[in-house]
Amino acid sequence: MPNASDTRPASGRGAAAARAVPDAAGAVAAPAARRPWGRVVRLAALVVLAVLVLAFPTMAPNAYILSAGIVVLSYACTATAWNFMGGFTGYVSLGHAAFFGLGAYGTGLLIRDLGLPSFVAWLTAGAIVLLVTIPVGIAALRVRGASFVIVSIAFVLILLLVFQAWGTFTGGSDGLVVPRPFPDMLRPEHHRTFFYLFAALLVVMLVAWWAIDRSRFGTGLKAVREDEDKAQALGVPTRNYKLVAYVVSATFTGLAGGMYALWFGDLDPIFQFSIMLGAYMVLMALLGGVRHLFGPLLGAVIVGSGLEYFKLEFGDTQFHLVATALLLGIVVLFMPDGIIPAVQSLVKRFGPQDSSIREMTAAELLERNRAAAAEPAAEAPAEPSAAVVPQGRHAGDEPVAEGTGEEKDR
Amino acid sequence: MTTTAPPTTRNLETVGLTKSFGGVHAVRDATVTFHHGKINALIGPNGSGKTTFFNCVTGMIKPDSGTVTFRGEDITRRAPHKIARAGIGRSFQLCRVFPRMTVLENMLVAVRRTKVRELLAGARNPEEIDKARALLVRVGIDHLENVEARNLSYGQQKLLELAGVLMGDPDTIMLDEPAGGVNPALIGRIGTLVQELNAEGKTFLVVEHNMDMVMSLSHHVIVFDRGRPIAEGTPAVVQADPRVLEAYLGV
Repeated sequence: MPNASDTRPASGRGAAAARAVPDAAGAVAAPAARRPWGRVVRLAALVVLAVLVLAFPTMAPNAYILSAGIVVLSYACTATAWNFMGGFTGYVSLGHAAFFGLGAYGTGLLIRDLGLPSFVAWLTAGAIVLLVTIPVGIAALRVRGASFVIVSIAFVLILLLVFQAWGTFTGGSDGLVVPRPFPDMLRPEHHRTFFYLFAALLVVMLVAWWAIDRSRFGTGLKAVREDEDKAQALGVPTRNYKLVAYVVSATFTGLAGGMYALWFGDLDPIFQFSIMLGAYMVLMALLGGVRHLFGPLLGAVIVGSGLEYFKLEFGDTQFHLVATALLLGIVVLFMPDGIIPAVQSLVKRFGPQDSSIREMTAAELLERNRAAAAEPAAEAPAEPSAAVVPQGRHAGDEPVAEGTGEEKDR
Repeated sequence: MTTTAPPTTRNLETVGLTKSFGGVHAVRDATVTFHHGKINALIGPNGSGKTTFFNCVTGMIKPDSGTVTFRGEDITRRAPHKIARAGIGRSFQLCRVFPRMTVLENMLVAVRRTKVRELLAGARNPEEIDKARALLVRVGIDHLENVEARNLSYGQQKLLELAGVLMGDPDTIMLDEPAGGVNPALIGRIGTLVQELNAEGKTFLVVEHNMDMVMSLSHHVIVFDRGRPIAEGTPAVVQADPRVLEAYLGV
């Protein structure tokens, strides 16, 4: 074996590096010990949030504030729905209003033309959006990055033109009146009911997002976001993953649209299939932080309240758009990752340092492992961190000669 | 290991593999057989088509013509994830990790499940985490498991990439310049790891410019020039081949 001689000195060191490090468990345990604290805080915040949301309708001074609250919640629903695609896979869709509009019009038309009960129509419209999204997703997901953004806009523009032009079916620019689901309810009661319905829909979305976030599927999606080619090379079926995320995202957006139709009762293509609505979803999610469960919700509360306020203050002028643009500029300049990550890093600055990398360079690790190797090697397997040891044992001083008999668990 | 007898078990083979970008023939009619259970090296001057060849084999690029077979099975034009699942792991020339995921999460990406229920189950499965940790210990970056990958040094990222590839239990591992941009001590460590893994039965296919590493590690060397293999054999044979000298030195 003429080739072994050159690496012989290096192999000794490499072997030491590969050996189990006794106090590896200690390094791992440190961050885990901090976690219970965070969990308590998080749980408390969650309870406060839930109480606030549940109490809002009774606290709202008038029907206008309550309806503004519903608008904000519907924004939160759409932004969270958008985040199933945007947050997990990193694919920015500016055209999610297409699914909002389809869900809204689907619900309205199913009630008007087929006489379906309101909420059956709502779910059916959601199913229709799901089915429509599959071919659309297959087409749109053939491209990445900026091209995907353009394709997503194309779809919403097509639908806008179709729904405007096909007046006999959709009502065109005259609008479509959606029959109310609760005809004998008074206006405040109607608002209150829909506030809770939107809140329930949002909770379902948040739970679904949370479940995906912690799942193997979610890990694959996040890998797509970080480096799609690399994910594929590691065996992640990226196209199917993206498609599922896209369909889930679109379906939830459609359900939010349908809910909006049932609440608002009057649809106009220019508002349902609006680029602005799609842009709001993106802005809200980015503002809050796309990689965080509550990011889009936080963004929706800020942007949604802002929009309502500006509309109230400046009436029919387009100033609310200018204000939105300013907000977008601020986000991009100062908090490109969103508010939640910005605050987190601020908190982290005061807290204990993350396990620092500079604390131990590879060279120091080698050094330490060499020192560990100098002690009786037989001790290593007895260590409690035994999970790691069997691998380490391979690292003898004669790596090549140490036959293939020790074939592993493949 | 000084002879290069034809392999008894088939591993990775290409026949007439061709890929052009416009008028540039990156890979031209490349027929290559890699030796099973050995460390195969692919060397050649810059622009000789090694990485394109790599990408064609792993499905990242669709070849214009030719076939790629792995253990006798045709894998030409298959999607990259299917090739990965067939048992070929690869690293990238410019080391690629998932920057905003922790080291441990990076490892867990390579866990392969197909059932919907398993996919929706929590990613932090104790067995898989144990396996990931064992591999991190093996490459020597286990103390960094909760650090985001973007905060690792380049060398640590290289090690993480290698560990991630191993997480998928590949039979054949393709490394694109494992020693590129890495300090000499780490080159030694990576070289040792390759040898150990090879001793455990993994086949390697290494693209590398570091001749010391190539000549000391590999059992079988294939030299590429202008998109096709011009010579192959043991390191000693290849080093003495006049065509190789010409390709490299232009004499």
